[in-house]
Amino acid sequence: MTEARTFKYKSNLSKQMSQPGGRSIEDAVRRADAAVEGHREAGMLAVATALADLEMACRTRDDGAHAKIYEMAAALLDMAGFFDTGPLYGAAYSLCEITDLMMTSCAWTWPSVDVHVRALRLILADGCVEGETSAALLAGLRSVVARSRPE
Amino acid sequence: MSRPPKQSDRVNLEQSTVLLIDDNPQALDILSSVVQGFGVREQIKCASAAAATDIIKQRMIDLILVDCAMPDMDGYDFVRWLRRETPRPTCLTPVIMLTGHAARSKIQKSRDCGASFVVAKPLTPAVLLQRVIWLASDEREFVQCDTYMGPDRRVRNFGPPLDMPGRRAGDLSTHVGAAVEANMDQSDIDMLIKPMRVAL
Repeated sequence: MTEARTFKYKSNLSKQMSQPGGRSIEDAVRRADAAVEGHREAGMLAVATALADLEMACRTRDDGAHAKIYEMAAALLDMAGFFDTGPLYGAAYSLCEITDLMMTSCAWTWPSVDVHVRALRLILADGCVEGETSAALLAGLRSVVARSRPE
Repeated sequence: MSRPPKQSDRVNLEQSTVLLIDDNPQALDILSSVVQGFGVREQIKCASAAAATDIIKQRMIDLILVDCAMPDMDGYDFVRWLRRETPRPTCLTPVIMLTGHAARSKIQKSRDCGASFVVAKPLTPAVLLQRVIWLASDEREFVQCDTYMGPDRRVRNFGPPLDMPGRRAGDLSTHVGAAVEANMDQSDIDMLIKPMRVAL
């Protein structure tokens, strides 16, 4: 076993942030929130495009599409994660989880992907609103993922 | 660790140079808007980890925000390169990694790459700023050994795992030894902690 060396270090960031000036946390968060909102329209358009690409990939089911499906789901999740997309984010995360599980275990089933993509479409069409429908959809997706999880 | 920050506390990032790395240009723009909102005046945007390595070789950066999943050199490989291949103080630069989904195959890589923080999306500016403030007051030691270089992964230091000898100078021996006396009675223990009037 190798010897581990430990040492203390004060970063430049630490020194700079301890200087007087700047803005209040409240103001900084308010400005940043407003800046993110400015990207919402383009961001949601990117989410819709990513979902259309996923639907196309599910229809064609090309060879070697498994990793591509994961990448597309992860890209959708990345963009959805910047905005308050509640159930859409949950469904996208679930799709990433199940594709990752199925790739790891080499047990890919397209219906498990299809049901996720359809749920994503329904949630997006419903304006990403949390409600009974989205809760039921997410519960269904959770059971699909649970079935793929190793014992 | 110092007290938790209040909303009225001030955060000064005006002098800090922040490097943003994400292969998705739209995500990069959003991230850039967020750090601008925090008051950062100088930020450098890179669409790949490879481009970021060139920047880091040329100039000092105070904070790095990097996406985990990128083609070719991903965020984990980038942080590993930063910690191991660059000279001091560059190798000690605080790094926040951003992740949407943590793939099973990447979990160990994520733990061992040497990032200061991994922040999972959904990413709100409030959470990101909280992490930046936390980093500024980070009191964790840096650990350097053959297999790891980065901030101490033991955020709460409970010592080495049970039955494992510690590798650090401050780690206590795992050997406690056999009891040399009988256990104390509960009444004796109660007497030790019972408040008693003392005549001085």
